[in-house]
Formats: sequence, structure tokens, C-alpha cells
Amino acid sequence: METFEVFRRSGHKEPFEHCGTVSAPDAEMALLEAKECFTRRREGQHLWVVKRSDIHSFKDESLLEIAADKSYRFAEAYRDVVTKRSQARSRGRALPEKARSST
Amino acid sequence: MTYEDKLARFNAHIDGGGKVEASDFMPDDYRRGVLKFIEMHANSEIMGALPERECLPQAPTLLRKMSLAAKIQDEVGHAQLLYRVAEDLGKSRSAMYEDLLAGKSKFHNVFHYPVQHWGDVAIIGWLIDGAALVTQAALLDSSYAPYTRVLKRICSEEQLHLRHGEHITLMLASGTESQRDLFQDALSRWWLPIIHFFGPRSNVEKDLLLRWKVKTRTNEDLRQEFLDRYVPKVLELGFMFPSPVPVESTGHWIVKDQDIDWAPLEAVKKNRGPETTRRLAARRDVYDRHRWVREVLAAPFTYAA
Amino acid sequence: MSDSLAALLTALADDELIIGHRHSEWTGFAPHIEEDVAFSSIAQDEIGHAAAYYTRLSQLGHASDADRLALGKDTVDYRNAIICERPNGDWSYTLARHWLYDAADSVRLEALESSADHELAALATKMRREERYHLLHADTWMKRVAAGPVEGRTLLITSLGSAFAESAGLFEPIVEEEAAIEAGWLPAPSHELRARFLARTAESLEDWGLPAEVHAGLDRSAEFVASSSGDLIAGRDRPGKDSPVASHGALGGRRGHHSEDFKSLWDDMTSTYRSNPGAAW
Repeated sequence: METFEVFRRSGHKEPFEHCGTVSAPDAEMALLEAKECFTRRREGQHLWVVKRSDIHSFKDESLLEIAADKSYRFAEAYRDVVTKRSQARSRGRALPEKARSST
Repeated sequence: MTYEDKLARFNAHIDGGGKVEASDFMPDDYRRGVLKFIEMHANSEIMGALPERECLPQAPTLLRKMSLAAKIQDEVGHAQLLYRVAEDLGKSRSAMYEDLLAGKSKFHNVFHYPVQHWGDVAIIGWLIDGAALVTQAALLDSSYAPYTRVLKRICSEEQLHLRHGEHITLMLASGTESQRDLFQDALSRWWLPIIHFFGPRSNVEKDLLLRWKVKTRTNEDLRQEFLDRYVPKVLELGFMFPSPVPVESTGHWIVKDQDIDWAPLEAVKKNRGPETTRRLAARRDVYDRHRWVREVLAAPFTYAA
Repeated sequence: MSDSLAALLTALADDELIIGHRHSEWTGFAPHIEEDVAFSSIAQDEIGHAAAYYTRLSQLGHASDADRLALGKDTVDYRNAIICERPNGDWSYTLARHWLYDAADSVRLEALESSADHELAALATKMRREERYHLLHADTWMKRVAAGPVEGRTLLITSLGSAFAESAGLFEPIVEEEAAIEAGWLPAPSHELRARFLARTAESLEDWGLPAEVHAGLDRSAEFVASSSGDLIAGRDRPGKDSPVASHGALGGRRGHHSEDFKSLWDDMTSTYRSNPGAAW
């Protein structure tokens, strides 16, 4: 017997999500089992099973932590855009008329 | 079931708002059309990394250096996502890459143009990414489901890029005269290519991608949304548009068809833009010199424990 | 304000900035698309580390802000090792340098965790977490290329030769090194760090079945002499095929002597900053 990890997807717009494991001799049997174990209440329109032994992970998952400041990868880093916008607009308004309108 | 029956059933499925997965039946024209469309999108992301990459070494602060690198990294990441989706339609990533290098496939017009200075980074990050976001958000409901799933992530990253681009723009706009000149100069060079970006008017009758809801809106519709959204913002900052100058009319910012010079777009479509050859050659050069890396990655290898 | 602490921080920051700058030049061009994304993060990390060191330096009253310390100085005021400023060459040189740089940086950060400057010690602890990933990344590639097809393996060996030769620059004593050691800012002298670096890298080479001779270039270039112009010229360089190593030696970076490669890098890197003195960006 092998352990299979089970993934299901509720619709076309969603990604597959892990929902549990089943014990089965092969993938064919694992699918049959997973169907009733994990989608019998219509939780999924799509189903995958993957042998656990085919899944790999880092030995040390603390590698996945972001150690130093990476705030620039997030929208919050640009929160001051509102203040900057009003500063830049007043600067724009202060320009001589001929430089402002092109229409 | 005959092919005709399958086709009729497929059309009905699409008309009813149905979605298509890679393993589902699809007409050959649908497969070809979607593949070509996503392939061009992927090509555009990887080629789109280059203009900004050319500005990256000159980033004026450490934070801008990191955030611009991160932004270009996202674009390369988008190419990675899109090439994988396209690959599942039956063309290998290496075949797509080689077609790109050979000039056999296309990428978006704006990435055929040169960059000159930091003002270009503002334009690309704000207006070009703004234009891209308008077109990509319209694809979120595309009939090809694997595409919409990656677009969800792409659009959320593009939102961030837009902030990043607007932030750079605002710093230039409220900065010294020469900083303002950087933006104005870049705007003057990029405005026409940005108008071209959306393409000429769609031919609704003939466009199979519209028929099959791979695309959901026409080119002119998307361009209009972009103009209405961005023209006032640019004017508020006191910058001027070159030709084709947008004019306000009945609550919209209009660019008249007859004011648009389409000749540069025609050249770009034939891969004869100002920077097409140089950028493709630079990519080809790196590609050719690194065949050995592809061989390393393809070679069987077992890691010692 | 201690001059020797400032000298140490400047060398650390400039190394990180310049190697990060070079790494970032692969963005959009790396020979494998997933690797392009991965390597960009490493570039960003190094620039981030530079920013942290410069910020510490500015806290010490050295200059107004980190950007000025990074971009607002003349070429002779940079204290990075020359190996950091070399052009990327091909992927084999980039990989060899990435591995050696991160191996050296790990040794350095390990030592700095017990620096008498507690801020610096805390930074070292934080950075070591990212360095573990950098080294794992480099090791994984090195192993694979070393055990892979002959063309890649041969290129890697050649590139390792020239990168090893220039890695001596990473352990060139900083100015006022004695004072920095005396004060405890730098917990171990550069020659000692270098010995640890050599021992560790030699072990990896053996594990991966790479020839120990790639070390040879290092010993030779470490015997540097002052030229008539006052520049420090390494005894000999071993440029290989596709190797970006020019005529200038490995040493001198810590005293502000740089290669021709650095001049063009600096022109490019500081051009926007210089175009509008004092402007906000």
C-alpha cells in the first residue's frame, strides 16, 4: 500500500487545494477512494492524487522565511502615494497656463 | 460523435459561459488561436523585461534599485507562468523561445522601442503597465480557464507595479525642473506607441478569439477605458500630450482615429521596430552561448544524499 | 565615530552593492527562466544587505543617508573587492563567483555575529539566514554542473580558476584592520577568515569531484607587489576562456584601487543620482 496526497478544485477559477490523504495500492484505486472520501458533498469538480513519495520539500523550511526587509514587494510600501499625488498635483497647477494645457 | 457534433457542442458550451481546460476537447482553431495569443503574451513579458532592465543599473536610490529589480523579476515570473500554460496546448517552451529569437513570433509593440533615462521607467511602470492591466483584467473571464488562473496572480502583481510606477512618476512630477523634463520627454516619445498598444479597431465579425470568448472586449473599448482613466491624471500633473492629443468630449477623453499614425505599428508587427533587432540579437547571443546550461539541466543526475 | 568601524562597514557594504549590481544584470537574461527569477532575488538580497550596512554607517554620523554612501561618492572611495566588479562573463563565471562570494560572506558573517558593534552583530545574524539560501542555491548548481556534461564542467573549472584567483581580494585586510580587531569590531583578522574560507571551499571541491588545482591561482595572485604607479598588482592572473579577468590584479579594492571594469560600472550606476544633486527620487 502507498500513501497518496489528495487535491481537489472547486471550479475552473480556483487552484487545486490539498484536502487529505488516502491509502491505496495504486493511483487508480486511490482516485476511487478519494472521490468518496473528499468530494461526496460536491466539494470538488476536479480531483488529483499524487504519491507522497513523489512529493519533495526542503529539509529546513526556515529557508522559506523572508529574513531581511522586502517591504518594496508589497503594496503597503507605496502607501504615501496619496500624499505624493496631492503634492504633485499642486505642483502641476502652479505651472504657467501655456505649459498646462495641450488641448 | 462526429467532429461537427463536437464543434456544435463546444460552441454551445462557450455561448453558455462555459470554460475550457487543457485536457478538454477544443476545435483546432481554438487551440491554435489560444496558443498563439498566450505565446505572444508570454513573449511580451520576457521581452518586456529588457527595456526596464536597461534602466536598472542607473536606478537613483538603493530602494529603487531593489524595487525595480523586483518588478522586472515579476515580469519574468509572468513569462514563466504563461509559457507553462501555453506549453500545455502542445508547443514546447524551447520551440516558443526559438521562434521568438528567430523573429517568427510576436511580442507587444511597446517593447520594440528604446529607453533613454529614468523618465522611461516612470512611463513604463505607470502608463504602459496601466494599459497592460486594462487589457489583462478584461481577460480574467476568458473562456480558457488555465489562462484565467495565472492572470489572477499576474493582475494582482500588476496592481503593485502600477503603484510603483505612479510613485516614481509623482516623485519626478513634484521634483526639480529637470526631473519633470525626464517624464515629459519620455511621455512625448511613448504616447503614440501606448495608443498603438491596444491595436486597431477589432473586426468583431472575423475575430475568432472574440467569438470564442477568449477575449471579451474589443481593442477600441479597452483603449477608451485607458484614456478615460489616465489622461486626466497626466494632465493634472501638468504634462502635455504629443499627437495624437486626447480631447474631451461627452464625458470621455477621445483620440480620433484619423489622428493616429499607424505606420510605426505596421513596422513593429513585422519585427522591424527601432530596437527589435538589437534586443532579439542580445537574447540570441546569451542563448547561443549557454547551450551547455540547457544540456546540464537536461542531463540525468542524482543528488548524493 | 570610529574610523576603523566605518572602514569595515564600508568594505562590507560596497562588496554587497557591487556584487548585487552585477547579479542584477542577469535579470531578463539568465539561461533558464526559473533561474532568472531565483537569481534576481539573490541580487535584491545583496543590495538590501548593502543598504543595511550603509544605514548603520549613516547612524554613526558618517554621512546623511545610505543612498549618498552608495551612489554619491567617487570611484576611489569604494572599498569593494575587485572580484565583485568584474563583468558577469558567462553563466559559469557568474556561478563560480556567486559560490565563492557567498562562501566567503558566510565565513565573514559568522565571525561578525560576535562583533563588538552590537548593531552590526545583529545585522550579521539576520543576513546569515539569507546567506544560507544563497549558499544552498550555489551549492546545488555547482554540484550539478560539476557532475554534468563535459562542456559545462570544463567551463566551470576554468571559471573557478580565475574566480578563485581573485577571491583573495575579499580577504585583503581593510584599512585600519588592526584597530578594528583591537576594538572588537572585526572579531577575527582577514587572514584567519581566509584560511577558514579556503578549508571549506577545498572540502566542497573534493566532495564534488572538482580538481583542487583551481585553488592554485589564488596563492599566486596573493603575492602582490606595488607597481611604479602605486597600484597593487597581483603576481599573476590566470584568465581562462570567456573569463572577464583583465590585466589588473585581485587586490587593491580595499584601498580604493579598482579595475577599468569598475569605471564603467560606476559611470552607469551613479549617472541618474549625479544628474540631479540632492533630488528626491
